[in-house]
Amino acid sequence: MRRWLVTFVLVSTVLAVVWFGVATVAAQTAGPAPYNSPRTRDGHPDLQGIWQVLNTVAWDVEDHNARLGVPAGHGVVEGGTIPYQPAALAKKQENFQNRATLDPEAKCFLPGIPRMTYMPYPFRIVQQREKITILYEYLGAVRFLYMNGNPHPKGPIEWFMGDSRARWEGNTLVVDVVHFTDQTWLDRSGNFHSEALHVVERYTPTGPNHMLYEVTLEDPKVFTRPWKMSMPLYRRQDANAELLEYECLSYLLEDAWTRPNGLPFN
Amino acid sequence: MRNPSFGAITLVAAALAVLALSLRPAAGQARFDVKTPKLPMSKTWVAYKATLPPYSPPRTPNGVPDLQGVWGGPGGAGGDDLEDHGYVDVTTPPQESYVSDPPDGRIPYTPWALTQRAAHRAGLSRGWPGETGERLYADPASYCFTMIGPRGGAGEIIQQPGSVIMVTGRVHRVIPTDGRPHVSERAKFWRGNPRGRWDGDTLVVEVTGLNGKHWLDSVGNFYSENTRMVERFRMADANTIDYELTVEDPTIYTRPWKMNYPMRRAGTGGTDNTTGKYAWRNTVTVNSDPYAREVWENTCNEGVGHTIAELHKLGFKWFSGVMPPR
Repeated sequence: MRRWLVTFVLVSTVLAVVWFGVATVAAQTAGPAPYNSPRTRDGHPDLQGIWQVLNTVAWDVEDHNARLGVPAGHGVVEGGTIPYQPAALAKKQENFQNRATLDPEAKCFLPGIPRMTYMPYPFRIVQQREKITILYEYLGAVRFLYMNGNPHPKGPIEWFMGDSRARWEGNTLVVDVVHFTDQTWLDRSGNFHSEALHVVERYTPTGPNHMLYEVTLEDPKVFTRPWKMSMPLYRRQDANAELLEYECLSYLLEDAWTRPNGLPFN
Repeated sequence: MRNPSFGAITLVAAALAVLALSLRPAAGQARFDVKTPKLPMSKTWVAYKATLPPYSPPRTPNGVPDLQGVWGGPGGAGGDDLEDHGYVDVTTPPQESYVSDPPDGRIPYTPWALTQRAAHRAGLSRGWPGETGERLYADPASYCFTMIGPRGGAGEIIQQPGSVIMVTGRVHRVIPTDGRPHVSERAKFWRGNPRGRWDGDTLVVEVTGLNGKHWLDSVGNFYSENTRMVERFRMADANTIDYELTVEDPTIYTRPWKMNYPMRRAGTGGTDNTTGKYAWRNTVTVNSDPYAREVWENTCNEGVGHTIAELHKLGFKWFSGVMPPR
């Protein structure tokens, strides 16, 4: 009888611990019921349309106060702070001090991934069977996410927008991006990476007009560990929404051409 | 129906863009010697297409003509001189005019505009008549600016309900076909504001809102911010688009005029342009390289800084469009 009682107590305790553990894990991973989005003819979630962020991450991916012309904003970095190596943190601070001239955006260069996604301009997703094309209003840029079975081409290759290979994991479009340059930044505050950057983007529809955009960044030359940012993407609701033009270099040159020493390229 | 998603492999990195964009030729141009035979263009195409049997294009599930696929540019020497001309220099071999109407192949400029074009040419430092050694404007393509028409280049056409999408490695156009109105003429764009509609087997694209700051070719042929263009895309056969571009601007032309040329489906030969930029022209490459149908990063802004600085030092002025004096 006593042994039965001891066994009962032990088994109950174990069951309770296991149940508690399962419940905790479930609470961490389940969240709200997944959104079952419309499908394309190929049977994948249909992410097509015009999307844009609604945040201040273009200025700074971390929490920031307002400055002249810069709205204050919440950061999107998981844990709040980018895990820079000490030398990289010093470089970030130097970048911030000299951002007016050093920021690649000031030269109208392609901004890289993920920065392109949270520039304050709309972009359009176009799905086909073997590739997804993203058309960005900013610079009229085009990005191809290949799903044709080819792996990343053999490097070394340094591209401003990297090489993107995509796959579906359930409802989520997962994009693996490598082959970057060290000439792009993450925002207008000097946050940066090296050419060793490896990005994994996850686009998950959460409703008819919303997606969750999650990015993991890994760069052994700059960060101490992989880190993550996430933000919602919003479908543009304006009835006349369309991609227009932002031909950055033409405005820069037009402005600078007539000023002595005004050209940023001299 | 399967959407062909074949692109062009372009291994053009930023550094190569610098090399390609020397002062005179536009990016990626071939070099031609003085014995190059005259390249065919509008006249040859108009005569040839008159011999073709009527063609009924396949339709998309939405019932409109299916223009999808990867298409070559206009062929010829890359839009160096729109009008009929003999050998000019290594970048500009003899070639028929792109202009199909008027039949003489000449752009019907007003007297003022013809004088203006002569000034553009004399200011190029390329050996055109009237040159004084003083530089005026460089071809705006030298700064990576993009344009539609013959300078729009090769690319893929993707159709969706309500829009036709045109994508090159560098830039995109989305042409709404849902009947929406144009953006007002107050807003100007390098590639204009396009609105499409289907007229039988033809995609008709009306382009307004052009900023008038580009050139139609590299030798000073121009349009203005009052110019309206109408593009017509029609399948002449399974592998050829008959492309016609009407240009209208009473401020600088005496009458509307037209360009007309074929665009060939990638990998089917024919009137490829001669730049050799796209590997899909070479079927051996396409069949042996799994990446041959991918479009890889093709930058321009990122490598053009040196060229721009040189043009600035040489004394070229900024071209912000020209209009006749009132």
